[in-house]
Amino acid sequence: MNLLSPNWGLAFWLTLTFLILLFVLRRYAWGPIVSAMEEREKTIDSSIQRAEEALAEAKEIQADNEKARREAEQKAQRILREAREQAEQLRDEERQKTQEQIDEMKQQAHDEIEREKQSALNELRSEVADLAVQAAGKILHEDMNQDHQRRMVDEFLEDLPRN
Amino acid sequence: MTRLFKTLSIAVLAAFLAVPAALASPAAAEEEEFSAVHHNADSNYLDFKPFGIVELPRIFLVRRAGGSFGLDAYASTASALRSGGYRAKSGGHGGGSDSSSGEGGDHGSGDQGHGNVSPGHGGGGSAEAMIAEGSHLGATLVPAGGGHVVVDFSITKHLIFALLAALLVAGVFIALARRYKRGVGRETAPKGTWQNMLETVIVFVRDEMARPALGNNYRPYLPYILSVFFFILVCNLLGMVPFGATATSNITVTAVLAVFTFIVTQFNASSDHWKEVLGAEAPWWLAPIMIPIEIIGLFTKPFALAVRLFANMTAGHLVILSLIGLIFTMNDLFGASWGVFTGFASVAFSLFIFTLEILVAFIQAYVFAMLSALFIGMAIEDHGDGAAEMMDEADPSQPMQRDERRDISPSLLSGNHDEEEEELEQSDHSLQPAPA
Repeated sequence: MNLLSPNWGLAFWLTLTFLILLFVLRRYAWGPIVSAMEEREKTIDSSIQRAEEALAEAKEIQADNEKARREAEQKAQRILREAREQAEQLRDEERQKTQEQIDEMKQQAHDEIEREKQSALNELRSEVADLAVQAAGKILHEDMNQDHQRRMVDEFLEDLPRN
Repeated sequence: MTRLFKTLSIAVLAAFLAVPAALASPAAAEEEEFSAVHHNADSNYLDFKPFGIVELPRIFLVRRAGGSFGLDAYASTASALRSGGYRAKSGGHGGGSDSSSGEGGDHGSGDQGHGNVSPGHGGGGSAEAMIAEGSHLGATLVPAGGGHVVVDFSITKHLIFALLAALLVAGVFIALARRYKRGVGRETAPKGTWQNMLETVIVFVRDEMARPALGNNYRPYLPYILSVFFFILVCNLLGMVPFGATATSNITVTAVLAVFTFIVTQFNASSDHWKEVLGAEAPWWLAPIMIPIEIIGLFTKPFALAVRLFANMTAGHLVILSLIGLIFTMNDLFGASWGVFTGFASVAFSLFIFTLEILVAFIQAYVFAMLSALFIGMAIEDHGDGAAEMMDEADPSQPMQRDERRDISPSLLSGNHDEEEEELEQSDHSLQPAPA
């Protein structure tokens, strides 16, 4: 057989073979393989996209969390400060109230003492007047009108400087 | 470094083994003419020398002396000769008839000398002699009872290897497809060497060949491109194994493949393609030049495909055989020392050519599939400017055009049926010119 001579019989068999090969491969090999590969590529693409989205979302959530944490911290500090101030204020008020009470009590005591002193003085004064009158009566032997005498002593006592 | 020495020592050993074998066989070489061309050409037997020869079935579509057609089938060339239905035609093949020309004188008794068949060997006895000496293998058979062979449907060596390649490709890829169906590679990453390796090649064919050449509408043509690529690749590689033959070093095989590409191209061609072929896009006065050129161009593309693949796959084997043959030539012309020296050089060169052939096997499969994709892509493309067709094809800046390309149903298979019909038509044609 010559290298360049065409062989129609071979051409016929080969056409048949190649046709069957094309059909079989197309039906049973390339279809499943190519579709599987495309499916996988799509899965990978969408996975990457999903991962990127998830990452962005996570970053957003993280930022949100950070912000919330900072806010909470600030709030806590503010509350603490306020509480401290309130406590301070409360203490001050308490102290002031106590002070006032003390002052009041002091004042009352003072007034009481004053009153007691006054009444004591008055008593003393009347006692002294009585004594003076007795003494003067005794001295003068003069029975004076009790009321008149008494008035005279009172006037005298009024003229005396206070205390 | 040690590896280099190991390789070198094995090469030297191979040379030493090859050279004495070559020197020992000049007598044998004279007995049976060895021709590199004959070795590469198709044959009706599988050559497993030195273990033996397997003859292949012979099937003939024959036109009998009476004018009727018939189909004769025999298990082998030898059985065809022994049956008496067929006899060897003399002058058919050099190797077969040369050695038997001496006994060609005393024939003629049992022969009905037909016009186109010069009488060669005699009847049954002579056939036995031919079979005994093995010269029947290269003989051309003609019907003994008159008439002539219309189409020789015999199974040949190259057909066997093309079938083997088809089976290998189908087996490997159907097994691979089953893996994908199971979910390996569909939902998960591909596992294992084979799947990764083959997938890389498939993705390469898809992304580097089909997609650039065919545009976004590549999908219907991808199975064809992939099949052609892997079939040719396996055919090419089968020629590199011991006792193997390269089916693609047969012009008929490459022509059939090119015809497939041609038919797929023409059956899916866009209206723009035909307008261009009919010169509608050139000035009218250029039509007498343009139309013939375009029509010739339609056929030169597949012709170039066929010849390129055939020549590349034949050349490597011829060069290796010639280099080996050089040892014998030098031995005969200048003596044994020259033969030994040439042996070393030839083995080294053959090794180089062999590795080159492996490279060429891949490159030619790539080139055939790539050009097929390109031709199909050129034909299916709808484009405004016909003159810049090739440029458009390579120009990625026009994706819109590709998107607008009308959706053509692939009709791969329908095209192939037509191919079969054409094949039958061709056989019909070959009926007519043959003289009775």
